[in-house]
Amino acid sequence: MRDSGGVKLTKTPPRVPAISIAGTLAVLVAAFMFLEVDFVELLSAFPAFIGFFAERFMPPDFSGFGEYLPLLLETVLFAVVATYLSSVLALVGGLLLSERTNSIAWLRFVAKVAFSVLRNVPYLVWAVILVYIFGIGNMVGLLALIFATLGLLSRSYAESLNEIAGSKMEALQAVGASKAQILVHGILPEFVPALVNWTLFSFEINIRASIILGMVGAGGIGIMIQTNLRLFRYHSALALILALVALVLLTEFVTNKLRGRVR
Amino acid sequence: MTQVLSVCDLRKRYGKFEALRGVDLDFEPGKFTVIIGPSGAGKSTFIRCINRMVDPDGGEIVFDSAHMEQLRGAALRQRRAMIGMIFQHYNLVARTNVLRNVLHGRLGYMPLWKSLLGAYPESEKRRALDLLDEVGLSDQMYKRADTLSGGQMQRVGICRALMQAPKLLLADEPIASLDPKSAEVVMEHLKQTTKQRGLCCIVNLHQVEFARKYADRIIGLKAGRVVFEGSPATLSDAVARDIYENAESRLENQLTGADIARIEDEERVALCETVAA
Repeated sequence: MRDSGGVKLTKTPPRVPAISIAGTLAVLVAAFMFLEVDFVELLSAFPAFIGFFAERFMPPDFSGFGEYLPLLLETVLFAVVATYLSSVLALVGGLLLSERTNSIAWLRFVAKVAFSVLRNVPYLVWAVILVYIFGIGNMVGLLALIFATLGLLSRSYAESLNEIAGSKMEALQAVGASKAQILVHGILPEFVPALVNWTLFSFEINIRASIILGMVGAGGIGIMIQTNLRLFRYHSALALILALVALVLLTEFVTNKLRGRVR
Repeated sequence: MTQVLSVCDLRKRYGKFEALRGVDLDFEPGKFTVIIGPSGAGKSTFIRCINRMVDPDGGEIVFDSAHMEQLRGAALRQRRAMIGMIFQHYNLVARTNVLRNVLHGRLGYMPLWKSLLGAYPESEKRRALDLLDEVGLSDQMYKRADTLSGGQMQRVGICRALMQAPKLLLADEPIASLDPKSAEVVMEHLKQTTKQRGLCCIVNLHQVEFARKYADRIIGLKAGRVVFEGSPATLSDAVARDIYENAESRLENQLTGADIARIEDEERVALCETVAA
């Protein structure tokens, strides 16, 4: 419209309906009431929390930190091994799930159900179930991570495979290449950046996950956070938490560097 | 003269939209044929029916004494290997180097395990290099395809097609995405190579001037039918104008944007299915 008001960006002015604002507030209030959390109490808890933390946790105590190092290494290795193994398995999963690479509808459906079960059961639940079956130990943590990662990566890989432009495959189809040749020479090379990105992403998740897995006795450093807190060794616990924050940051730094190298 | 390709009463419809309504054409070796016509005239559908990237609804396509419209599976792939195809968007595998992209032209002739190992015979690698030499790209052989300019990519696309040692060369709007200079280079090379190798070359274009300059024979398609056929000299301005006349209205009357999107979607799905099948 070119009348007096100048050029408007949208035909009708954008508006946020009052009803959606009211709805959002209603849900929030109802949730607080159901949870029986006092909003004022929630706010006033902050100073107490900070006070407790400053008093009991500070400063971090790094003495005897050396004995944690093998457990830290264990945690990192969990993530490394789980990411490696599940990315190999998930490649098969992705090929089964993608319409582009698997034309057998019932097989795609079976794969879809199987991998969504793996994905939608949280890794901590997997760990608890597996602890019941196999008892406390490193294998449990590894298996739990692999299950969850396999579910996540298979689906991510499949979606990336679906996104590869069909036009490029058209050229290979036109030279008389077979399905398998199109997969190997056309689809997979184009899939590499997505493969690397998703795998690095799941590695970051797995580092965090494998820290927590230790808390349910599935191996790794997590158990020591738990132990320190139970023994009221807050200064040591803080040292450990700081070390874990550093580990996560370092992981993100490294994965970002690696991402930048793949084009 | 023997024909390389003979098309008889070719028909194709997308839903309500009739893309081809009975096309009869014969093609001889050594001839450079340009098909002109407005968007939606059926040029692309016609060329894609020949190597069965699109399945026709009716009619016959006889290439090298085989009925293309009846072929399936390995037999179809074997015939496709003898037909080179060049695309508007080049369709190179972007993350693969130039040499490998050219060698993709041999995939239809070799078993999977050999291609998996990249075990192309030395003679074929040499031939790929010779082809790249012809288009002045042999010094770029190890560059990744996506680092090339559009004109360079299209020349690699031509090399890939020639690597097939084809009898027939199909080019679907090969210069539509190129600047005028690159377009000249590509057309010049296509024409020259057709003459040298005695190929049969069919090129879709929408620029009449390019058709006049390079074609031995021009075919005008309009609304799914052949409305002109003859040498460049016989294509008068009036006839050329008539080919493009009222073209928009045909599309607009019969197809909305959503229809076109749906058709393209269906084609994409069909392509996925054929790739996967």
